[in-house]
Amino acid sequence: MIGLRRGSGAAPSGRRPASPPTGFDPSSGATVPLRAEGVVRRHRSGRGIFDLDLSVTGGEVVSVLGPNGSGKTTLLRVLGTVDPAQAGSIAWFGRRERRDPAVRRALGVVLDGTAHFEAMTGYQNAWFFARRFGLDEVRARERLNRLFAWSGLAEAVHRPVEEYSLGMRRRLALVQALCHRPRLLLLDEPTLGLDWAGSVDLIEMLRRLARGGAGVVVATNDVHLAERLGGRVVFLDRGRAVRQGTVAELLAEVAGRQRVELDLRAPVPLRGLGAQPGVEAVGVAGTTVRLLLAGKADPVRVLRGLDGHAHLLAGLRVERPHLGDAFFRLTGRPLEGGGEP
Amino acid sequence: MIRFPVLPASIWQRELAELVQRPRALAVKMLFPLAVAVPLLHSSAPGFYAAMALTMLLSTMAPLGAGAVLARERASGLLLRYRLLPAPPGRVGMERVLAGAGVDLLQVAPVLTMIMVGGRGEAAWWPGLWLGAAATLVAGNALGALVSTVTRSPGEVMLIVLLPVLPALYLAGVFTPFTSPLMQAVTRLFPFAYLHEALVGALGGAATVTPGQAAAGAALHLLVALVLARLAGYRLVEAS
Repeated sequence: MIGLRRGSGAAPSGRRPASPPTGFDPSSGATVPLRAEGVVRRHRSGRGIFDLDLSVTGGEVVSVLGPNGSGKTTLLRVLGTVDPAQAGSIAWFGRRERRDPAVRRALGVVLDGTAHFEAMTGYQNAWFFARRFGLDEVRARERLNRLFAWSGLAEAVHRPVEEYSLGMRRRLALVQALCHRPRLLLLDEPTLGLDWAGSVDLIEMLRRLARGGAGVVVATNDVHLAERLGGRVVFLDRGRAVRQGTVAELLAEVAGRQRVELDLRAPVPLRGLGAQPGVEAVGVAGTTVRLLLAGKADPVRVLRGLDGHAHLLAGLRVERPHLGDAFFRLTGRPLEGGGEP
Repeated sequence: MIRFPVLPASIWQRELAELVQRPRALAVKMLFPLAVAVPLLHSSAPGFYAAMALTMLLSTMAPLGAGAVLARERASGLLLRYRLLPAPPGRVGMERVLAGAGVDLLQVAPVLTMIMVGGRGEAAWWPGLWLGAAATLVAGNALGALVSTVTRSPGEVMLIVLLPVLPALYLAGVFTPFTSPLMQAVTRLFPFAYLHEALVGALGGAATVTPGQAAAGAALHLLVALVLARLAGYRLVEAS
């Protein structure tokens, strides 16, 4: 058993509940959690986000999909009140001041970093944030016990965070982001460091949060996460929202096509492949070439485009297209492993 | 039964929790000022020079320590976590700066107590001693916080933070007392001038101010340092 010095609240048990705790006030979705219009934040490198519009309603899950360097983290930081927008406007629950404590109390933000107070235990870390977000001792204890049990960290609550693995650190960050029952949750690459079971749990939790009235924004280049979350998807490319729609709408754009991946032993010129009949898009990430073929195109015939480099072919896969292929068809750039040069 | 030693609900409590959970670091932190002060106080060093060494110790350890720790917290992303707390950034940052100063004061408390118990000066110097130490440590932590926002690593902080401190020690009359009225006026602009005077007095030396003036001047500087801590705290939390 794990005991707490203060008060008499129940300690987290090792048993993992079937579902994560939610418990939102139904009236909380009355206002639009997030409305961003014409948002610009440009870095010195010239990258950033440009003229970006995004609104999230209560109960909605929005996945922002884009390759590395497309501006996802910049967007999350601006929407999460970490950084100011240089132009445009953002309203959180109708409020426009990002430093407004009422705004920050309503947000749960998990950025890509996993910064915690290393010498303190996981429970101490989470307790600190729970209390700072306005929970009294009784509510903090009740929420944390449930969240730690849900997160699978119950056995590690008394261990210093410096002993945690990356996955445990990310789970702890989720516990901290959820402890005050945020009405808008913003997560950057939330499945990074999570195992398969953890990812499944996370998806179920995010769905439940949305059903409870919270808005959820997830920035990721994990197409499977976005597909399983459902909801709306925004394609982010070079800092601009180039397309948005539901998962079903975007998948319909590549329905009937074939996704072909060629594993090569060395880079080859792509011109010949792109010129083959039926090839709608061609891209490269390292020595992997990705092709999007029209439904009736023969992948083997397309290999003629290797123009004498066929001996470099180490493998070929033909798959059903996913959201990444919708992005690929639209931008000509692969979503995974195909970041900005 | 496993007990959580401290459940921190404030930045001050968090600093303390982290401190007590690193016993070796805590021991080094507490022994460091004593390693300087004990031989000094048991030597036959004149009051002015002993006071000079102790003033230098207090006025450099605060900005060096705060700057290095805060630069590390910035690099790790912890200051970003503070930024997202639902409270005005100036208040959050000030709380962080004052927590650092509070820990520093705990660190030097044994030294100050030794001076009170074993010093040859009058008890009238004690308020100036503690207020001067507090003002110096708060101002030093505010300086360290500011420098941490314009540097890239703890090592860089340690190089830069001493650039303003060392000339300030000279201008505060810590190395040699000034006789010209202008320089005496300049001297009073620095918080460690009053700490130095109080130390000189408490160690039985000849101070240039009365115990009351030292206490009043140190109290005034403490107020100014608190304002600086708020400004530096805002910058600390909001700087990218």
